[in-house]
Amino acid sequence: MIGILLAKFKLFLRSPGTFVIFTAMSIGFAFLLSGAGGMTSFQVPAYATEEKIRDSYIGEQLEEVNALSLQWMSEAEMVEQIANGKAEVGVVLGEDSFKVIVGVDSPNVTMIEQSIRDIYKKKHQLEQLVGQLQDTEMDIQQVMRSPIFSIQTGSFRSSDAVVYDSSYQALFGFTLFFVIYTIAYNVLPILIEKKEGVWDRVILSPVRKWEMYVANLIYSFITGYLQILIIFFVFRYLVGVDFNGNFFITLGLLIPYVFAIVSLSVVITAIVKNVQQFNAVIPIVAVSMAMIGGAYWPLEIVESKVILTLSKVNPLTYGMEVLNGFAIYGYSVEELLFPISILVMMGVLLMGLGIHLMERRHV
Amino acid sequence: MIELVELTKKFKQIHAVKNVSMFIEKGEIVGLLGPNGAGKSTAISMLSSLMEPTGGDVRYLNKSMLKNPAPLRKVTGMVPQEIALYTELTAEENLRFFGRLYRLRGTELNKKIDEVLEQIGLTDRRKEVVNKFSGGMKRRLNIGVAMLHDPELLIMDEPTVGIDPQSRNYILETVKRLNSEKQMTVLYTSHYMEEVEYLCDRIYILDKGNLIASGTQEQIKSILSTEKTILVQANRLTDEFVNAIKTNPTVNRIIVGEMEITIIVPKEVNIFSWLIKLAEESGLELSSVNIKTPTLEDVFLHLTGRALRD
Repeated sequence: MIGILLAKFKLFLRSPGTFVIFTAMSIGFAFLLSGAGGMTSFQVPAYATEEKIRDSYIGEQLEEVNALSLQWMSEAEMVEQIANGKAEVGVVLGEDSFKVIVGVDSPNVTMIEQSIRDIYKKKHQLEQLVGQLQDTEMDIQQVMRSPIFSIQTGSFRSSDAVVYDSSYQALFGFTLFFVIYTIAYNVLPILIEKKEGVWDRVILSPVRKWEMYVANLIYSFITGYLQILIIFFVFRYLVGVDFNGNFFITLGLLIPYVFAIVSLSVVITAIVKNVQQFNAVIPIVAVSMAMIGGAYWPLEIVESKVILTLSKVNPLTYGMEVLNGFAIYGYSVEELLFPISILVMMGVLLMGLGIHLMERRHV
Repeated sequence: MIELVELTKKFKQIHAVKNVSMFIEKGEIVGLLGPNGAGKSTAISMLSSLMEPTGGDVRYLNKSMLKNPAPLRKVTGMVPQEIALYTELTAEENLRFFGRLYRLRGTELNKKIDEVLEQIGLTDRRKEVVNKFSGGMKRRLNIGVAMLHDPELLIMDEPTVGIDPQSRNYILETVKRLNSEKQMTVLYTSHYMEEVEYLCDRIYILDKGNLIASGTQEQIKSILSTEKTILVQANRLTDEFVNAIKTNPTVNRIIVGEMEITIIVPKEVNIFSWLIKLAEESGLELSSVNIKTPTLEDVFLHLTGRALRD
């Protein structure tokens, strides 16, 4: 079994083209369709005219703005960065006013200016209130932290709140979609080896048949999972997506999905008669699954009962449910046991069916 | 050593192999001859335990191998018709991979790889990726892989298909050498009768799933002892000429080529002068009329009415 695995990885290293293409496409599509950089904060060089501003209300509020990440530095350094083109824009923060130094005029300038202006405006309002009520600023802030009324938001369509995050939607959707191709094209060699007689040669050797299947399927699983790891690592450490603070658990939650897709690929490989048929079937299956399973758009906006019913037998639906549930809705692993169990069950059933079909065509 | 007893394989309503019985003794080269679709590959798939027969038995050392083929698999080296190799790996990597499957490791494996590369004449090309090999070199490596574990029985399914004459000769010589030096038993299937004639001690001829003849070359050719084969070559053939031969009551069978006709007649019949006269009347110019020594091809023609490569 180890020998088969080693040969597979050697072959993978000799021609990693398919893997690289699908990984790059996943990253590219997820990055572009999530609004390129929408997931990360904008780095803005900042200079405070007085040291205390960093720790004042202004400094604290600016730190809270997700879209901005202030890089504190001296005025000279800031000007140099803008002059060298390392930064598009910089800000000079005073106690009651601010300046925006623009190097490259872009929509980001307006966004940054508006964010800072809002905070200064709020500070002035607070100061006015303090003056009128003879109260302290801290007391006002205390009141705001413990409001008399609490407000809850919900969607118009159902009692469950729907949170749509385009950045996660594109990342999760395209990752789960493209990994279908990678896995399927790594299961396909079973069919090719059967046609070309390599499989027969291995059958005649002392290697047991279960070892042949396990080696091939472990290889397909690892390549599929590796693709997901690369994509998620890129988005975690290069783009800055935080995956709800539980990156490694997110990675673990994808194991049942990859397993289910390996099993599905075995069924497809067992049904088709040749590579041409496989090449025709895979895009149909993958695109249909992506459309029905909510990879391209959230299932919550789908109203067709037929599509919603079909989505119930689609592994991608449950893969998206697990990822969205964990990263967007903040569900615990226990709360996600239902979709995880369905994925595992699908994996086991499809694997059994696929191997049975393969063996019916071969001794 | 190995025996096929009334082996049958049925795919839906079609009999791919029908009640075929044959045996192979240790150390001999046995040929399985037949046109494409005769059932040769199906028969050897069943013999090598890769396909379950619909009926009959495969026996190795007088034991049935249908339920437990492991002893037979252990001593069998299979050379499939397809190039069953990883073409993106080098020759050495392929041998290493298949050698490991046979539990060969370390020095033993390295020694065996060297030995096989030497036998198939690819020692200098061992580090080259198989994709870059010629058809003949791929075929040789295909054979080499089957020899890694020193099999007692080498089953070769049309190992020379689609290669140049030089590579074909190399393969035939390799088979001869393996048989004489290592006493390797060989089952050689082909639709090239000249290969089978050159290599094999005994021959089985299959057609449409049926075994139609078996024995040594002499025994099989003696089927034609009551007939003779006449090969007529002309600058062109006309329908009138061909039809006249076909309707001659003394002609048993004919096979018509582009510019030649093979005619089988009873040994005592002399149609030589009649043929020349007929050609003159038909306005044909004959380039030769030969009475041939019977070949396996002629036997096949005699038995089936078709040429081996039809």
